[in-house]
Amino acid sequence: MGLDFVGQGAGQTDGNIITTTIDKVVNWGRKNSLWPMPFGTACCAIEMMATLASKFDLSRFGSEAIRFSPRQSDLLIVSGRISIKMMPVLKRIYDQMPDPKWVISMGACASCGGVFDTYTLIQGVDQFIPVDVYIPGCPPRPEDLIDAVLQVQQKITSGASPKGVEVIYE
Amino acid sequence: MNEEKEVEEQSKPLVLEKLETHHSDALLAQDEARGTIVVVVRKDQAYAVLEYLKTDPELAYTYLVDVTAVDNSQMESELMQFDYARFMVVYQLYSYQGQGRVRVKVPVHENDLSITSVTGLWQGANWLERETYDMFGINFDGHPDLRRILMPDDFEGHPLRKDYPLRGRGERERFNFDKQNV
Ligand code: SF4
Repeated sequence: MGLDFVGQGAGQTDGNIITTTIDKVVNWGRKNSLWPMPFGTACCAIEMMATLASKFDLSRFGSEAIRFSPRQSDLLIVSGRISIKMMPVLKRIYDQMPDPKWVISMGACASCGGVFDTYTLIQGVDQFIPVDVYIPGCPPRPEDLIDAVLQVQQKITSGASPKGVEVIYE
Repeated sequence: MNEEKEVEEQSKPLVLEKLETHHSDALLAQDEARGTIVVVVRKDQAYAVLEYLKTDPELAYTYLVDVTAVDNSQMESELMQFDYARFMVVYQLYSYQGQGRVRVKVPVHENDLSITSVTGLWQGANWLERETYDMFGINFDGHPDLRRILMPDDFEGHPLRKDYPLRGRGERERFNFDKQNV
């Protein structure tokens, strides 16, 4: 029974009893069923859709249960330009997600404003919400988004808190 | 082919003919830009001209494609031509009666930014005029609901004016969640 994925603390007795820690089991569950909340506002969202569709198939990594309600999700994917009018909406959606929650900032625009260095565009959503993983590119390829999801999974396995935790319990 | 073209060029478009007969005093200039007829019309008569273009049975420009504006403050040649009117409000019309497209331009001076709303003629002008108000600060008299449409309600200034800095006046830095009603 190859149950060593539960973590280093796992052990086996007589092939029937597994010892581990609650944290590790919970994190193992979390990591393999991240429910993304898509926040697609521009061209990057098209790549996000491709990632979720059959060709790239994010469900291979357990993250296909896209929720359009923030209250049911734990992974926020910001993919696209965020204007000063949209930022309060994004912040509110982030606040509505239950803890623990992770944020992926997808593409140049979400991460730093991209080529749109203009009066109306937020120059990086991390000024207002905590971001766990940034994806470079304009737009990033679906593989990059998959890689970001895997990085979030690694972060969960390692037991590290989401970036947002420091802010929430301030 | 060439002959045909010449014939076309010789015959004056119906819309220009009709405008010259019925609204000659309103016409400031006429031109053609990439196959579209352009007429420049005095502001005080703009509504009458647009109404005429829409309701005349032969012209029937029933479709208002777009309303927008141009800030000519850095275009000396344009400024001189129309008595230093800073803005040009532009109406793009289309006729399904075979008259094609026509562009109506109205010079608007900076010291009097009001112009009659055409929402009474085309309901679709509602949002288009709101956008023009938002971006250029043109006031459309008689508009039922002249609010900003693209920028946040508490935004100050009109960003498509040429004197508005590209990177803004610190909106991105002064950004405040408390002011917004989300
Ligand atoms: S990073 Fe590029 S592809 Fe993504 S939203 Fe910005 S402009 Fe579009």
